[in-house]
Amino acid sequence: MLLRLADVSKRFGRDWVLRNLSFSLEKGEVVALLGPNGSGKTTLLRLMAGLLKPTRGRVERKGEALFLPNPPAFHRHLTAREHLLYDLAFHGKGGDWRGALGRFGLPADLPLLAFSSGMKKRLALARLILLRPHLWLLDEPETALDAEGRALLLDVLQEARREAGVVLATHDRALAERVADRSLELGGA
Amino acid sequence: MRPLGRVWLLALRDLRLVVRDRSGLLSLLAFFAVMLFIMALALGPEEGPLRRAAPGVLWVALAFMSTLLSTRAFALEVEDGTLDDLLLTPGGKEWIYFGKLLFQVLLLLPLSLLALFMAAGLFYLPLEQGLPLFLTLVLGVLGYASVATFYAGLLARLRGREALLPLLLFSLVVPVVLASVRATTGLLEGLPLGEVASWWQLLLVFDVVYVTASALLFPVVLEG
Repeated sequence: MLLRLADVSKRFGRDWVLRNLSFSLEKGEVVALLGPNGSGKTTLLRLMAGLLKPTRGRVERKGEALFLPNPPAFHRHLTAREHLLYDLAFHGKGGDWRGALGRFGLPADLPLLAFSSGMKKRLALARLILLRPHLWLLDEPETALDAEGRALLLDVLQEARREAGVVLATHDRALAERVADRSLELGGA
Repeated sequence: MRPLGRVWLLALRDLRLVVRDRSGLLSLLAFFAVMLFIMALALGPEEGPLRRAAPGVLWVALAFMSTLLSTRAFALEVEDGTLDDLLLTPGGKEWIYFGKLLFQVLLLLPLSLLALFMAAGLFYLPLEQGLPLFLTLVLGVLGYASVATFYAGLLARLRGREALLPLLLFSLVVPVVLASVRATTGLLEGLPLGEVASWWQLLLVFDVVYVTASALLFPVVLEG
């Protein structure tokens, strides 16, 4: 089992965002998180990544988790090549960064402040492919992507499924039905 | 990659970001130069009072610069939203502290030398004891930056961190600033190195204690 949440609740101040949630994820599984704005999808992803601690309950993870926020976070004064090289080094990994940038149609030496939202999303997917985490936590990965970008996203998710587990938060039910093995509907605490 | 390699890379990456951003570094230099000029104008023009005040002025300026730089070290991550990426790297999180500390020291040391030369020009300081003065700068800067980095990391995600940081920081680094000022004063007054060495020993002890304690506590405060 890659990920297990046992009776997890999360509160910010006096507001409960999640209550008594239990969940598990196996390798090779893709799970979609659905729900309206404010239902706790991003909070749940951050709890799964270990970036937040639950107010109650327990989160158990096996292996390396990476969280793709929406919008993706990058240093705007670095180029795509520099960012990927630093990321690979910080994670102690090697990889074909040229191939990854070429596959996603991204320029290597342009500062990221010149990237559009869609290009940043593509770079975030290239980063995930290179870093190969055990657990992929994706927050609305489809937003800002054009048709070609969405096709790349579907390919990437199929690749991820082979050696990892994926949880993706989305408002796109068609995407969820197409790629996810099951869905978890959040309705607010 | 070995932990030491990650530390170097993080420091060099932050240096690259600061240099490319330009505005942060330029405002820091402008603030620093203006502060020295105003103090020299306020205390001058007689040589005696200027010389006596110089070590204090120099270290107050360096303390302000270090405080601003430590805030900058984490603002780089918070403004771009990349702190989470660092937190999700495998292994312990001490390397993030050491990387941010090294970034500050690498930037502060040349700035300190520049400050020393500026102070020498404005405050009639003799620079015969160049190497011992540099040693004092290294020990003082390391001690100050070690605590500043720790608190900057602790406060990174809080609103009002710029106001909170000096309040938390200055109480803890008073011994470092005092020892640095006394060592600098001794060197500028031409005291024998043996007499100044006791201040260096004190600074070294503070450096070791502050760096060790900060590195041990840093992962805990980052997990928050």
